[in-house]
Amino acid sequence: MKTSFPKALLARHETYLALIIILFSIVLANATTGFLTAGNLLSVMRGGAGLGILSLAFFVALVSGGIDISFPAIAISGQYIAIRAMLAFGINSIWAAFGISIAIGIAYGLFNAFLITKFKIPSMIATLATFNLYHGALLEFVGTEAVNVGRIPTSITEFGRMAIFRFETEQGPLGLSIFVVVWGAAIAATWFIMRRTMLGRGIYAIGGDAEGAKRAGFRVTRIRYFVYGYVGFLSGIMGIIHVSLIRFAQPNNIVDTALLRVIAAVILGGTAITGGRGTITGTTLGVIIIILLDRHLIMLGIPSAWTEFFIGIVIVVGVIATHLRMKISRVRRGELVVDRAH
Amino acid sequence: MVQALLEVRNIRKAYAGVQALDDVSLTVAPGEVHCLVGENGSGKSTLIKTVGGAVQADSGEIIINGTSFGSSISVIQSIRHGIQIIYQDLSLFPNLTVAENISLSQMIEQGEKLTNWKRIREVALRSLAQIEEHIDVDLPLDRCSMAQRQIVAISRALTQGAKLIIMDEPTSAITAEDVRRLFKAVRRLNEQGVAMLFVSHKLNEVFEIADSVTVLRDGKKVGDYQASELNQDKLTFLMSGQNLEYKPFQFDPEKEGAPLLLETRRLRKVNQFHDIDLKIHAGEVVGLTGLVGSGRTELALSLFGLNPPEGGDIVIDGSLVRIKGPEDAKRHGISYLPEDRHGQGLFGHQTIADNVVATVIDSLRGTTGLIDARRRDRIWQEWIDKLKIKTPSGHNLVSSLSGGNQQRVVLAKWLAVEPRVFIIDGPTIGVDVVSKARIHDVIQELARTGMGILVISDEVTEIMQVCSRALVMRKGRIVAEFTDLQSVQESEISQVVAGIDGSEVVA
Repeated sequence: MKTSFPKALLARHETYLALIIILFSIVLANATTGFLTAGNLLSVMRGGAGLGILSLAFFVALVSGGIDISFPAIAISGQYIAIRAMLAFGINSIWAAFGISIAIGIAYGLFNAFLITKFKIPSMIATLATFNLYHGALLEFVGTEAVNVGRIPTSITEFGRMAIFRFETEQGPLGLSIFVVVWGAAIAATWFIMRRTMLGRGIYAIGGDAEGAKRAGFRVTRIRYFVYGYVGFLSGIMGIIHVSLIRFAQPNNIVDTALLRVIAAVILGGTAITGGRGTITGTTLGVIIIILLDRHLIMLGIPSAWTEFFIGIVIVVGVIATHLRMKISRVRRGELVVDRAH
Repeated sequence: MVQALLEVRNIRKAYAGVQALDDVSLTVAPGEVHCLVGENGSGKSTLIKTVGGAVQADSGEIIINGTSFGSSISVIQSIRHGIQIIYQDLSLFPNLTVAENISLSQMIEQGEKLTNWKRIREVALRSLAQIEEHIDVDLPLDRCSMAQRQIVAISRALTQGAKLIIMDEPTSAITAEDVRRLFKAVRRLNEQGVAMLFVSHKLNEVFEIADSVTVLRDGKKVGDYQASELNQDKLTFLMSGQNLEYKPFQFDPEKEGAPLLLETRRLRKVNQFHDIDLKIHAGEVVGLTGLVGSGRTELALSLFGLNPPEGGDIVIDGSLVRIKGPEDAKRHGISYLPEDRHGQGLFGHQTIADNVVATVIDSLRGTTGLIDARRRDRIWQEWIDKLKIKTPSGHNLVSSLSGGNQQRVVLAKWLAVEPRVFIIDGPTIGVDVVSKARIHDVIQELARTGMGILVISDEVTEIMQVCSRALVMRKGRIVAEFTDLQSVQESEISQVVAGIDGSEVVA
């Protein structure tokens, strides 16, 4: 009993996300000038890469049946410590920047895993605590001084300008930013892990039924260490991408806006908050919707103050849509006989 | 004699001073279906966990295919020597595909690092083919029925090289038709030399499939029997240690002059039930039976306000009432005991006492607006005593009780409101014969106090044992009424339920 092709497509959450993106793009293309230009689209993707990478991290944590909300603090810690260390020791290398930031990210991520697996603290509570812990430690022990563009190491700013497939246009040179390449690599790596390795199937399995996963022979603790370590790893990468983009380091960046947008993108992408379900395609489409909203509402004449409001609406609608679709399929299967009133 | 596949000798296990297993022995031959039966708490679960390595015995010997493991075996050893336990919850992954559910354990066992999707599907298909079952292996498991999930669990056990599959209460969550399908799969396995050990407290199924039966009671073995030498009564006696009396309940409302408590007139809801005329008098126990989907539960829910009807009247004490929610129902003296006691009936993480008084908490408020603790304690103590709930203290968690006792707490909870009409949906689902008999006694006792009771059950036997009158629903209509249950045969009612009595219903 195979489902036919168009029906299978209609049953997929991703199809609806793609339709929303297309509709929104049509609206934007008609209402504004300059949306459908190569320059704008490349710039949108360059700006959204950081969000995309963090969303992959959040997606993996959710699929495992956990959650990690400390990632903004991890990302800014990696970034700010790397920049300050480079300035203090006179190092000027993008490799050093990534090395330091990723090392801090992984260490913090593993500490999250330690709290969650050793003391059985719910991941939400554990990472809420470490969010404050990591950010507080950064402000207290590293400092609060802003590093402006003049002092940012040149290797960072040069990395930010790197692009492949360069070509000349009337508006000037264009190319695919290195950020998008890194984002693409992160998507590929995450897809490979989740889809093509037993580790990835283990992440889905513990998100479905942790006790069952243990009985099936999965090493649940080890998988959790990987999950939170991977969140830290990706956050560390994002920290450097972020500073290369805005060429300014200040320890209150990222923590101010990233959390809401990442949660919005991943939930919108159809990943179940209860774990075990979600796809990378959905997550990435969710990210695209959020960055389109973030960047283009203003082009439609909607004041930027409304952006938060619209992202809020998007989360509510996305969650309701997911809930309804699950309920309808349960009724079809006959699991839900009558609508019980509560 | 063929060498035993599994031999367990003189196993003892104590938990905190309680002797859970006392000198228990068990032998399972290759290719046989063996049943391990006993009441809740008789030690069945402890015994299978000992064999599976999840629990270490204090003394005794476990021998698999001639290899002795002393008194304790590890989980890995047990699996490597062909023992597979399928627990009641099945330990499957609802979010993964059928193929993954079947094959992943084997991939892990073989130390695979990468996911080979082609092999995952092949292993799954081969395993399903071994028991001649067809399930779309690409389907997510949560789209499968309970029966299909059990087939998946069995197929997974086969990929692990199972020689003995132990299933814990496999038939409690599935319909009779699914049970037959499951048994067919089991038969095919037996032909291939795979043995099955069923753990059950349901009796009729035991006879259908078992070759031999081992009975446990209070941690001790009562004996080993050939299934052919047992019958229902004998097995009940062996399990409970007592002859359970079956007391038919006779009650004629007209002769007794019993007042009519609740009446429905042409009650209906599209696709659920049609033109329901139902009468419940004080002091009678009315049985309502029918297949799943016949509309029986939907009807009961509508009387309790959880599934408002679309037309028709509900009359209580001669006056027309509207029941739009459980609050209305409670005000009119109607209580409802749900079928799914875990989902709807109990707060598992709270104490027995708190559960009992949950329904009456509003009326416990004293003059200060605070809870009157003395009255509260009196109420729960009274119900624990009345329903003989087995617990050292009302302050223990509900989740610490056995299934039968939990069911009694649910009863207590809804009796605490002192209802006049009590609707009981599946009063004894998942409880053993002894608890069942006690619950039946309680129901009849309540009726004698003048309560009107509606019992919904898909077990015709149960309806005949506990009720004074029975109604049969099919396709949303009441198709038959039996007023004298002493003079009908069980098979007569069953035929009406199944719709093979010749009558046709126009839906």
